[in-house]
Amino acid sequence: MLKLLSKNKGIYILILPALIYFAVFSYFPIVNGFIMSLQHYSIGGEHTFAGLAHYREILTDIDFWRAFRNTLQIGGGNLIVGFIMQVLLALLLNEITHKRFKKLTQTIIYTPNLFSWVAIGGIWISLLAPDTGMVNEIIKWFGMKPINFMTNVKIIQPVFIFLNTWKSAGYGCIIFLAAITGIDKNLYEAAAIDGASRFKQTLYITIPGLYSTMKVVFMLNLISVLRMFSQSYVLTNYAVIDKTQVAMTYTYSMGIENFRMDYGSAIAFIMLLFTSVFVLIYQMFVRKKEVD
Amino acid sequence: MLHNNKKSISSSIFKIINILFMIILILITVLPILNTFTLSFSTDIDSMVPGVKIWPSRFSTEGYNTLFQQVKILRPFLNNIIVTVCGTILHVGLCSLTGYALSKKMAGKKIIMGFILITMMIPLQNIMIPLYILYKNLHLIDKLITIIISGIVSGYSIVLLKNFFESIPESIGEAAYIDGASQLKMFIRIYLPLAKPGIATVALFQFVGRWNHFMEAVLFINDPKKYTLQIALKGLVIDSDASSSATIITKNTQMAGVMIAIIPLLILYPFLQKYFISGLMVGSTKG
Repeated sequence: MLKLLSKNKGIYILILPALIYFAVFSYFPIVNGFIMSLQHYSIGGEHTFAGLAHYREILTDIDFWRAFRNTLQIGGGNLIVGFIMQVLLALLLNEITHKRFKKLTQTIIYTPNLFSWVAIGGIWISLLAPDTGMVNEIIKWFGMKPINFMTNVKIIQPVFIFLNTWKSAGYGCIIFLAAITGIDKNLYEAAAIDGASRFKQTLYITIPGLYSTMKVVFMLNLISVLRMFSQSYVLTNYAVIDKTQVAMTYTYSMGIENFRMDYGSAIAFIMLLFTSVFVLIYQMFVRKKEVD
Repeated sequence: MLHNNKKSISSSIFKIINILFMIILILITVLPILNTFTLSFSTDIDSMVPGVKIWPSRFSTEGYNTLFQQVKILRPFLNNIIVTVCGTILHVGLCSLTGYALSKKMAGKKIIMGFILITMMIPLQNIMIPLYILYKNLHLIDKLITIIISGIVSGYSIVLLKNFFESIPESIGEAAYIDGASQLKMFIRIYLPLAKPGIATVALFQFVGRWNHFMEAVLFINDPKKYTLQIALKGLVIDSDASSSATIITKNTQMAGVMIAIIPLLILYPFLQKYFISGLMVGSTKG
């Protein structure tokens, strides 16, 4: 052990910068954040012990629970609609026999995933504008009244979900397409000999063959929707903020904009806890399915 | 025979519907981008007139002129290039050093890997407040270097590169080791060139992520002189729509702003494609 240590001394030096970064910019802040959530904290002032006061306040904070509900509604929509589109697209693209068309489609629908939320916001706010936007021009062709998409509380959440799907569908589709190419070709041949149609082959070979990829992608998506920040922060406005503020933008507005750093930290911590609970439930569910 | 015929008819119908569906999806993706392009190259007046626009009727760079002369987007644009290029180079350098070291035999490797992997479960969002205080205490608020430091190493990149270095045969390194090459020399001369595909994947992902960085700038930059592109653009294309600013910003200027944010990525895209799939696959199996 010691010999290995001294022989490879150089190697430990190579790792050191990364470990220092993680210690200072990941571990220290999260510990510090937890301590702050238990204090009455003020920048440059005295910090006194607060116990669970902030956590108790969260329980009765209507604004937090509204943000939490929005997180579940928008996030849940993003998660389910996005996931279905990703899988469906991969399955449908896989049926296209014309190689170049397939490749072209894949390339194009992935493109929005490269764009930032600010760019996507700019593109779609302009498209959806009630007075000059192209979408409302098309709506007018059909003799309908223009819709003010971005300021209508009834449809803003579906708009959010649509935009997220527009951005992420191609990304998941690429992952699933790559996973499809990894499925054993012999299975399809055997099924074809038995007279199974393409539809049945997809249902009984391709989809089960994608389970392991689906499990991972779904979990990654689950974690990322609970952390949602940029989409909500960029696309929100005063007319619809009650429907678009999510847990993380609420944390930001409490902790940074309103200087309630202790309370904001408590919210961030609760959200980390919720994320862990969701992931645990999901994994239990997946494992139970496997046993069945 | 009849049965077979029916089958082939229904399968051709499916094929046609499938292709139509794909064409609709392509249009939903392309038309918004084409509309943005068109508006950005329209005259001030044309861009404010309603209509279905997929090609400029009169080509004009008025929007871009306003963007650079009145909105003064050049500073944020250059700031964005600085933080993206420096951040990407440093990230790739540090993560490949770490990944290389972790691909070697060493004592305590499991503990170190655990230490690194756990950080993947501590996202920026959940530590934004303590992190803000930390940067404030270090006098790093309103500094471009803060955006560069943020995420300068990541568990994801380290794992991806470690896997790449592990796939390089041990014997290659041993020969050099016997010749008395130091670890660092061996890394630069032998391993780094062999891990090119992995490094390209990480570099391209970083470039896109850093070019689009947003939350870091919201949190750590307040000084308009230090604004990076996305923050400056949010003020231009999203906020200026609702609030009444002193100068009237026309749509061509706003869309010109969007264009300069997405063009570098579109240029990079053909190079990205080759490496994206491998990178995404690692993400989905290791995550």
